[in-house]
Amino acid sequence: MENQTTTGPFMERIPPEVNAKLRAAKPSDEPVLIQVVADLADDSSFRERWLVVTGQRLLVIPSDGADGTVEVPMEQVKAVRTEALIGGGRLELERKQGAPAYLHYTSSLAPKFAEVAEGIRQLTKGEALALPEEVPRTRCPKCRRLLPEKDGICPACVKRWDTFLRIANYLRPYRGKAATLVLMTVAGTLTGLIPPIITRHIIDDVLTPRANFSLLVWLALGLLGLRVLGWGLEVGRGWLNVWVGSRTTADIRSQLYRRMQYLPLKVFDRRKVGTLISRITNDSDRLEGFLMFGLPHLFTNGLMLVGILGLLLYMSWGLTLFVLLPVPAIILGSLLLWKRLMANWTRWSARWSRLSSHLNESISGIRVVKAFSQERREGVRFDQRNEGVREASVTADRSWFLFFTVINFLMSFGVFFVWYFGGRQILRQELTLGALMAFISYLWLLYGPLHWFGEINNWMTRAFAGAERIFEILDAPAEPSEDPDAVPMPRMEGRVTFKEVAFGYDRVKPVLKAIDLEVAPGEMIGLVGRSGVGKSTMINLICRFYDADRGELLIDGVDIRKVRLKDLRGQIGMVHQESFLFSGAIAENIGYGKPGASFDEIVRAAKAANAHEFIVAKPDGYDTPVGERGDKLSGGEKQRIAIARAILHDPKILILDEATSSLDTQTEKKIQEAIARLVKGRTTFAIAHRLSTLRSANRLVVIDDGKIAEVGTHEELLTRQGIFYRLVQTQKETSSVVAVGGGKDDPNAK
Amino acid sequence: MASEEKVTQDASPSSENGRPKPTPIEVTHPERVDPKAVRLLREPPWKLRLTIEGDRSYLKVKVVRAAPLSQPSRYVCFLDGKDEVVCMVDDLSDLEAGSRRITLEELDRRYLTSRVERIESIRSDFGVSYWDVQTDRGRREFVVQDVSENAQWLGERRLLLIDVDGNRFEIPDLDALDRRSAKFLESVI
Repeated sequence: MENQTTTGPFMERIPPEVNAKLRAAKPSDEPVLIQVVADLADDSSFRERWLVVTGQRLLVIPSDGADGTVEVPMEQVKAVRTEALIGGGRLELERKQGAPAYLHYTSSLAPKFAEVAEGIRQLTKGEALALPEEVPRTRCPKCRRLLPEKDGICPACVKRWDTFLRIANYLRPYRGKAATLVLMTVAGTLTGLIPPIITRHIIDDVLTPRANFSLLVWLALGLLGLRVLGWGLEVGRGWLNVWVGSRTTADIRSQLYRRMQYLPLKVFDRRKVGTLISRITNDSDRLEGFLMFGLPHLFTNGLMLVGILGLLLYMSWGLTLFVLLPVPAIILGSLLLWKRLMANWTRWSARWSRLSSHLNESISGIRVVKAFSQERREGVRFDQRNEGVREASVTADRSWFLFFTVINFLMSFGVFFVWYFGGRQILRQELTLGALMAFISYLWLLYGPLHWFGEINNWMTRAFAGAERIFEILDAPAEPSEDPDAVPMPRMEGRVTFKEVAFGYDRVKPVLKAIDLEVAPGEMIGLVGRSGVGKSTMINLICRFYDADRGELLIDGVDIRKVRLKDLRGQIGMVHQESFLFSGAIAENIGYGKPGASFDEIVRAAKAANAHEFIVAKPDGYDTPVGERGDKLSGGEKQRIAIARAILHDPKILILDEATSSLDTQTEKKIQEAIARLVKGRTTFAIAHRLSTLRSANRLVVIDDGKIAEVGTHEELLTRQGIFYRLVQTQKETSSVVAVGGGKDDPNAK
Repeated sequence: MASEEKVTQDASPSSENGRPKPTPIEVTHPERVDPKAVRLLREPPWKLRLTIEGDRSYLKVKVVRAAPLSQPSRYVCFLDGKDEVVCMVDDLSDLEAGSRRITLEELDRRYLTSRVERIESIRSDFGVSYWDVQTDRGRREFVVQDVSENAQWLGERRLLLIDVDGNRFEIPDLDALDRRSAKFLESVI
């Protein structure tokens, strides 16, 4: 198109007939800014509609024969919004007068149209069009196949050779061992090929003429020698192979883990923790399995196949043809059946996992089951699932059995042919008995590896897809922790300045719209607002877990993006509502904030956090293990250990995120005390749902609709009778309702 | 899968048999209105207005099903602009004809579940299945990851599939499918 000036994900390629309609609908010198396809017609059928946006107008063009291009001049657009429907959505272009124009799309395109709506909004406001450079891919760019996950790896297009080379690269440090391994494998395969040749001589030169006893001794000794040699090579290969395979995957695994630690948080937001963990465990496991068993298997069998075929052809090419007769059937059969086989096993494992999850659920929920006296029903449900597992396992086992018998049956066909035609040749004196026997031995050696043809492909694909997923993480850009231009800030004052800061996790839904705030060193700020209003988001920006979309965030007058990340995070301390402790002793957890802290320092921090008393009261004192995630301690105990950890860390900027909620009054008082000690001399940002706990803050900042609505002390805001006042009133009402219901009254809420 | 649903439904009424009468519990029903008094209007044609006759009126109304999977044709809720429930109508036939028509239109517009009429092909590899189906809305290809998790039995022979993007495909009756389609389906379910 001659007037196409922009490129990118929002300039999709337009089909010629739509292009013709487009030319008719706008002057040719008017540049197109957005050009995207929607996949539903107005009657919700799967038909294409094109949305074309220029600086002057918006056009909705149907792609099938129907005409009826809808035009909305840009100055006529009053509002643009998307409506989420079940399984799709609708883009609404509201006009200043008359009916709005609509565009319907399925869920597949909803993310795209959220961006498009934002783009049109920018244009209507006269701003420059700023659309993301990239959108998550849903189709494989190579084969156009729909991807199993967004931005995922297309299982069909994994570049096997490249991936293989990259995996092989990890072998480089161990190349001596790897080369030995290859040599041993080749030698082992060769020794496996020789015995039939010897038996052939035994039959032809000793047994048939019934003579040459001394030759028999030598041949028998030769057989024994080969067996011993083969055994030695096999053992050596196994030892080396396991070593190299596990070494390589351990290297990949630890590189992966180290890399993951430095990935920006948004990577973790996008993916489930489970899938990330599975990359370290499952994917590297698959890779390991492939390196240790699959690859050697493939290599030896490949070598074996070539070697045997060569030998067979050499001995008798005519017979070899008969041998090869069932091979296509075997390969085809195993390819076809293998899929069925795998499907049956998948079904079995799916049912098995449902059974075990039911077990898990009903046993952990046994109190509920008993309280509602539903033991019988649980029993019935279990029986059903149990029966399902049994049925699936019968099917799977039977098909497995069938598979092997069918393949064996096919193979025996080759043997029949060889016996018949080979026997005929012997009778005609064209072949010796020994040769025939050797032939038949090779036959079984040849068919063995064919069994696994179906599997090898699967195995490789899975291992390589796993490797690709691993490499994807390894190649992801890490946080700029090592930026050489960053400003070192070993000792910061703690001045935090927000200048017109805007940010949204999803670009379409800004959480913060324009935040302006200047916080002096040592000041305590209480952040107030409804949940989801952006309090935690402000904190995420201060920690630089995310970067602001617009505006500036300054630390001691320096743009946060220019501060050395290590120095920044090193001087920020956090105490959360849910204190995350690592399994280990209490002392270790307190010391986490300052590696190499002395025991004295740890005790001092614990005392300051009002934690010392309860710690020493425990049988193992500071050596008490906290359990996984600290679950052997009570909430208040965990909280105080987290405070001690923060005290020891000695941050200049302190973040208290709901640090005092959900505790009894007694404990809360202790924690309040500890926090009062902690905040002294530090810039503090505190978020608390219970507004009364923010009394000690120098200033309260009320956030509403992405902006700062009110700023002032507790008393000032109360007298102003604005948002804060209303929030306090609501809380008072709620707590009185709780009191009526028999709950604990909050003594601080007045 | 289908059968376990049945048990949950069967079990609750049978366990009620021997019990004493339930203790009455006080619930307020601000949304309980006479369905005859509910009027839906398109005024202007692109806006939906809800009037409870002789009482109140709402602009920007959303029509939703309370239980879209198990009770698709009953229990319809009308929400106001803040997504708060204005009223619920248990049985659509209680509505006045014009309002009922509009309600059905709105439900159709909102629930974009496609009904699968024929399965052209299902390919599955690597735990992912690639579907190509003919639906009441036209031909469509989609991907389902882990069918055992993303296929939901809505009844003995009724199946709902959710693809990777969250699109929904319903097979209203497995037995009504032609042989070829049924065979494809059998290979993955």
